[in-house]
Amino acid sequence: MRGFIEFVVRFKNYITLITLVVMSLSLMSIGNLSKLGGFRAVIVGSIGWIQSVFSWIPNPVALKAENTALRELNLQLAVEAARSRQSMLENSTLRSMLKLPALTEHRLIAADVIGKTTTQQRNYATINKGQADGVREGMSVISDAGLVGIVIGTSEHFAVLQLLINRDTRVSAKVQRTRVDGIIQWEGENILVLKNVPRTLDVREGDRILTSNYSPRYPANLVIGTVRQATDEANTLFRRIVVDPAVNFSTLEQVFVVDAKPDPERSSLERIIDEQVPNRSTP
Amino acid sequence: MALNFDLRSSAYVTNPAIRYIGYGVIAMLLSVTHVVFLRFLEVSSVTPDLLLIFTVWIALVEGQFTGMIAGFLCGVLFDVVSTDVIGTNALAKTIAGFIAGYFTRPAFLKETLGSARFLMIVALSGFVHNLIYNFFFLRPMQVSFLMFFVQYGVASTLYTTVAAVFPMLYVARRKD
Repeated sequence: MRGFIEFVVRFKNYITLITLVVMSLSLMSIGNLSKLGGFRAVIVGSIGWIQSVFSWIPNPVALKAENTALRELNLQLAVEAARSRQSMLENSTLRSMLKLPALTEHRLIAADVIGKTTTQQRNYATINKGQADGVREGMSVISDAGLVGIVIGTSEHFAVLQLLINRDTRVSAKVQRTRVDGIIQWEGENILVLKNVPRTLDVREGDRILTSNYSPRYPANLVIGTVRQATDEANTLFRRIVVDPAVNFSTLEQVFVVDAKPDPERSSLERIIDEQVPNRSTP
Repeated sequence: MALNFDLRSSAYVTNPAIRYIGYGVIAMLLSVTHVVFLRFLEVSSVTPDLLLIFTVWIALVEGQFTGMIAGFLCGVLFDVVSTDVIGTNALAKTIAGFIAGYFTRPAFLKETLGSARFLMIVALSGFVHNLIYNFFFLRPMQVSFLMFFVQYGVASTLYTTVAAVFPMLYVARRKD
């Protein structure tokens, strides 16, 4: 026994190191934000409150970038608006001709981003709307530019979003022009990658990427970004498609929560199938 | 001791309980500061890691054993506050505390903290910290680890080292 105690005392630093490393790895294996619920929701709520108190302080660098982006967006929107007016007229005429029902317009909940990280490996944002405003876990979040992320946690007056630029985010996507499907994943900095696209399929630089109808989490046809580069991956049958996100996350300040939750019946069915088929995952 | 290490005779320094409570309060303030205010200091998506500097500081002042535990607790705290996966920062900062603890020299504490030696220890600990952190980040991805680490890990290490100049200068001035 004495020998054991001497051993522990002699090597206490190494024993402590191993213990702490094992504890860290154990925490990582269960480290999912949504699973930690109550305690973390309180922390997030408190941090959100502090962030909201200081959110009035401007960030000159971000403001400059935002101004530039807004000017460009304004120009694009002016052109788009003219086209839209024309398209709406055509759409209305065609719908009445085909007797199609109008697309359901989801309610949008406007919110201010009061805190965000864009420099971590898992980036999140906190918004100043929560359960009291109708925001629920699983709702998609957009900005005027496109898809921002998804709500993963809510408190009474705040919500935490998992941004598109988060290593855990996977979005089922499609190329608007050719309807080619793939999975959007963040690869650091400002790079999204459309995966699982075979070499034979047609994807070009400048193609617009939208959310696909296959995803139970994100409503279809939300803009994700534009293809910056499409090359063939070495030693694989797939293409490497680099996508520029439509949203500038560095200057993100206002967002809209889409008041549309995934169909519970579909989610339930897919969860059951996921459990039965281990390698199947739904982005 | 963390803030007034030259006041060795004061109750604050000699009473470990008060000292550790002080460390806890500082760690909480730093983590909140990091999450709320560091966006103003963001340069090309890189920010300094204040809690890493604090972990190195504790390891140098209190020794390797306390440094590791401080690193672990600071990491868990930061993971919780920053909504990162709990355990990633804890692991990286535990190792950082372990490395920094090797440079503990109680007889030359002021010389260590108030000189370029402190910066070098922060740089070394930060380098290993970011190596581990980025390894766990990049594991499921297809991007080149080397490219990503050079771009972010090294940049973050440099920025953190630059930020460590401020506590170093503080100690250097008190030393004089």
